[in-house]
Amino acid sequence: MKRLELILSRLLWLVPTLIGLGVITFAISHVIPTDPVAILAGENATAEQIAALRTQLGFDRPLPVQLLAYFQDLLRGDMGVSLFSQQPIAEELATRLPATLELTFAAVLLASVLGIPLGVVSALRRNSAIDHALRIVTVSGLAIPSFWLAIQLQYLFAMQIGVAPLNGRIDGFGPEPVTGLMLLDSLLQWDWESFWGALRHIALPAITLALPAAATIARFTRAGVLEVVTSNYVLYERAMGLPGALVTWKYVLRNALISTVTQIGLIFGVLLSGAVVVEAVFDWPGLGAFAVISIIQSDHRAVMGFTLWAGAIFVIVNLIVDVLHTLIDPRSTR
Amino acid sequence: MSAPNHGFLAGAADIARRLLRDRAAMVGFTLILLLVLAAIFAPWLATHPNDVYEIHTARRLTPPGAEHWMGTDRMGADIYSRLLFGARITILIAVIAVGTAVLVGVPIGLVAGYYRNWFSDLLMRLSDIFLAVPQIVLAIAIAQTLGPSIENVILALSATYWPFWARLVYAETRSIKNETFVEAAIALGASAPRVMILHILPNIASAIIVRTSIGMGATILTAAALGFLGLGAPPPTPEWGRTIAESREYLPEAWWYALAPGIAIFLVVMGFNLLGDGLRDILDPRIRRGGRGP
Amino acid sequence: MIPISRRPLLGLAAAAAATAAMPREAHAADRFVYANNSNFDTLDPHVVFDTARVAVRLNFYDGLYRWVDNPPKLIPWLAESHETSADGLDWVFKLRRDVKFHDGSPMTAEDVVYSIERILALNLGAAPLFRPLLEAGATTAPDAHTVRFRLKEPSAIFGSLVPDITVVNSKLVKRNERDGDWGRAWLARNVAGTGSFRLRRYDPAVGFIAQRFPDHFAGWGPKYLDEIEFRTVLETNTRVLGMIRGDYHGTDGYMTPDQIDRFRASDTVQILEQESMRVFHFCIHNARAPMNDIHFRKALVHAFDYDGFINDVLKGSVVRNPTIIPNNMWGAPQGLEGYKFDLDLAKAELAKVQAPLRPITIGTLAGFSETEQAASVFQANLRKIGIEARIESAPWPTVSSRMRNKDQQYDMVPYWKSTYYADPNNWLGELYGSRYLGGGNVSYYSNPEVDQRIERALVSTDQEERQRLNEEAARMVFDDAAGVWIYNTKWFGPYSKRIAGIRFCPVGSGQDMRWAHFA
Repeated sequence: MKRLELILSRLLWLVPTLIGLGVITFAISHVIPTDPVAILAGENATAEQIAALRTQLGFDRPLPVQLLAYFQDLLRGDMGVSLFSQQPIAEELATRLPATLELTFAAVLLASVLGIPLGVVSALRRNSAIDHALRIVTVSGLAIPSFWLAIQLQYLFAMQIGVAPLNGRIDGFGPEPVTGLMLLDSLLQWDWESFWGALRHIALPAITLALPAAATIARFTRAGVLEVVTSNYVLYERAMGLPGALVTWKYVLRNALISTVTQIGLIFGVLLSGAVVVEAVFDWPGLGAFAVISIIQSDHRAVMGFTLWAGAIFVIVNLIVDVLHTLIDPRSTR
Repeated sequence: MSAPNHGFLAGAADIARRLLRDRAAMVGFTLILLLVLAAIFAPWLATHPNDVYEIHTARRLTPPGAEHWMGTDRMGADIYSRLLFGARITILIAVIAVGTAVLVGVPIGLVAGYYRNWFSDLLMRLSDIFLAVPQIVLAIAIAQTLGPSIENVILALSATYWPFWARLVYAETRSIKNETFVEAAIALGASAPRVMILHILPNIASAIIVRTSIGMGATILTAAALGFLGLGAPPPTPEWGRTIAESREYLPEAWWYALAPGIAIFLVVMGFNLLGDGLRDILDPRIRRGGRGP
Repeated sequence: MIPISRRPLLGLAAAAAATAAMPREAHAADRFVYANNSNFDTLDPHVVFDTARVAVRLNFYDGLYRWVDNPPKLIPWLAESHETSADGLDWVFKLRRDVKFHDGSPMTAEDVVYSIERILALNLGAAPLFRPLLEAGATTAPDAHTVRFRLKEPSAIFGSLVPDITVVNSKLVKRNERDGDWGRAWLARNVAGTGSFRLRRYDPAVGFIAQRFPDHFAGWGPKYLDEIEFRTVLETNTRVLGMIRGDYHGTDGYMTPDQIDRFRASDTVQILEQESMRVFHFCIHNARAPMNDIHFRKALVHAFDYDGFINDVLKGSVVRNPTIIPNNMWGAPQGLEGYKFDLDLAKAELAKVQAPLRPITIGTLAGFSETEQAASVFQANLRKIGIEARIESAPWPTVSSRMRNKDQQYDMVPYWKSTYYADPNNWLGELYGSRYLGGGNVSYYSNPEVDQRIERALVSTDQEERQRLNEEAARMVFDDAAGVWIYNTKWFGPYSKRIAGIRFCPVGSGQDMRWAHFA
């Protein structure tokens, strides 16, 4: 089984990849001249105080020793604690993951709902006015700077029209966390006020992220549908309304959406490692914001933890995408 | 792509003819041309060329008018003039960052794709690792270590972009290596570098060109985002992303502040995307439209 | 004891129980919401000592004394009174007998002793203020309501430091200690204080919600806030727009006049205006060439367009401050006029500089656009006298940590020297005294004449002498052009028009919420 072989070999490579990533991140986070100990000690700290603290934290040990210690801890499943909050990194990440996860789900869902129908319509009415108009829309969608769009949406919907909030996930703290996904939690607790609040809050950041994603999805869907229908004229005729249209659609879509699904997977992976800019503009309390603050303060273990998380997501999503490819298209098993 | 390359010049002329007929690609080409012209002739086109470094605190935040076509910024400098000079920075970042990524990524992809051994695997896993480093983490780290500057934005972008080209070239090389003309060349005793450079590279060039054009647009967006986050060029550099970041504290009252740079970024990125689309249709119909990322 | 706010991904089973145990939040309309410009990554009162997170120390905890009003004055708080021995070494505080922690247990001298020992042992936050004066174990509790501090050396400023001995519930913290960590991991996420408010929910990524503590020893007036929320909103513009929309009821009072104008134009926001003690200046690295040459520094102080910056960029909202000591603080030199913007004079001084010129680096604070604007004004004028200035913007933690390293310190940094304690030493001593080299003295300035006066002022108990010494030392530093001093900030506190009773004090920056209420 070539497929199994591929999966196994890629899984085996996951370990050295993550180790490599760890080494690189460690190196990166330690060449930064920002001294986390000085930040921790505060504005009024004395030189002796900083030195004492450095020794106490083990930051005066040679770097290779520190790196080794880190990996030893990691093997025991311990990512260490944040220098500033004193909380386990795993917990810090887990605290912020639901916010990022929820935003990612919302954005990908929105993008798919918009992108797939647009792509299908575009393909079926190829070279029509609609196709050209949609082409302009999708090309534009990929060209708008997301931070600029975010700001404009904020002014339009929060300040001018006043239908959406400016920032944040919810007013106050929202429903008691169960899954951490606020929309889901409020539903589980039958708390419609929170649900509505969370929905209003997630709208603008989700739209900002969904727009370029929808453009990508529409383009891939268009290409996929075109490829299937043009390669089989009979199918095209049937899809256009001849008897058995429903069955045909099932066939067309299943084969046409292969690359679309792949793209959705990749977008999901990219957003999961934190949409830094959009999270920053909307004060979204997710992983992206955590990554930025950690690296700014040189909270080494937090930076390492985040990078390993993002790296693992990246590798796994790629692996899944590749495996999907081999399932769908046997030629790509080389 | 079974035919070996021949008549490269004739091919180029043919491509140009077909591009001219593609209206969308021509729009893209025009936009890019405008960007280049703005960059070259900035000192002559600008109404206040000195405002790149001069300030006039008494004229802060003036709305657009006869004197300042696009208004002034928080230091009283002319936004229109700064926008023109900003085009230079945009080109500089896009060309050098993508150029470096191509120069590093293509050879690695070629070598890894040509040989089938542990070394190929190692190279590709290495590129996976670099691809997995979150760009923002790297960009902030570089900005903190070497100071925020255009050069360091370029460094951060190239460091995270080269694997895209490495992967592309790797896949293309693998698929082309079994073609008859490549096998023939090897059988005739051509050295490995010779096969790679003379036989494989010309035949995968179109894929690289298409990727590069699309990549330019994505690079400009990312660079602007880094400028927006304050990781790019320091003041008084008229970088567009930075201008938008500055404008935030004056919005929506100073509506003109972010408008021009925002539209400028949008048009330039669209230009590269449209051109890239057109090139792809002509050069490499196998690749489907779509895709962000460089 | 408040459970930490953790967000389990899969904890469906525990959900029902948690929901039942917690009272619902007050309706949003009854909650005071403050938009904070920094994130609360920890709630521990002893590990951070910055203005950005002062809300935790002021609202959850109490000190022996407390700073209130403007100009700041000390009022008895957890302690009723104190006495000092003749040699100035023994400080004995009498504690109130009616103070309760949030869990209902009484506060005693034992808690105060534990708190100061914890500060000294953790060696973070306010520790640098206390470590030169107090050894571990030098604080004792003769009885349950008396605390005795035995200082290493006499100190004129110890009295102004005691508000920063924030008292934690020693029994509760000890129960949650882990491997001798003084309860650090636990106190980062929980509150064990006597303060006016008690923690209800906390999320390091979002902020905290706190409820009024009805049993607070100081009692409550007829009106008060039942629930307060401090929410992290990093972007200045979002804080401004959120205030205008009415999402927030208060935010930081040190915004640029551009923002103040926007508040004034809105009908939801009131601006409370107060003199403050926060001097904006360019700190100069005095130990590095060419800044170690007095002529170069004189060129610098004459090359900044003070009037242009204050009148155009800051729209005349602040007044010039000629030295580092705020004009409204005693010890500020009387009748001293600040340096004038004069490029010819600057050029003349520059001509006398021996060392070769080089581009100089100005480190500005990302997110504080005023520092960048000041640097841009400076940059443009320095260019006219032939000095190239490079601006490097970085977030405050980065800038601050680089400032404390002599080799990494920028050539100049524009920033505000805030009030940590209301004594001239907070500004003059900390920035220009040799005893603070490697610590607060980030201008790397050292002058034995100045040191002699600063040292004497630190131990003298004669107020008149202390004032004279500070004035003399400030003049010397001024003559040496050791910094580019620009203005003393005014505090323009933006609060919702629905809010009344804000009691501003430069030390707490208007974040002490126990006196505020909805109008």
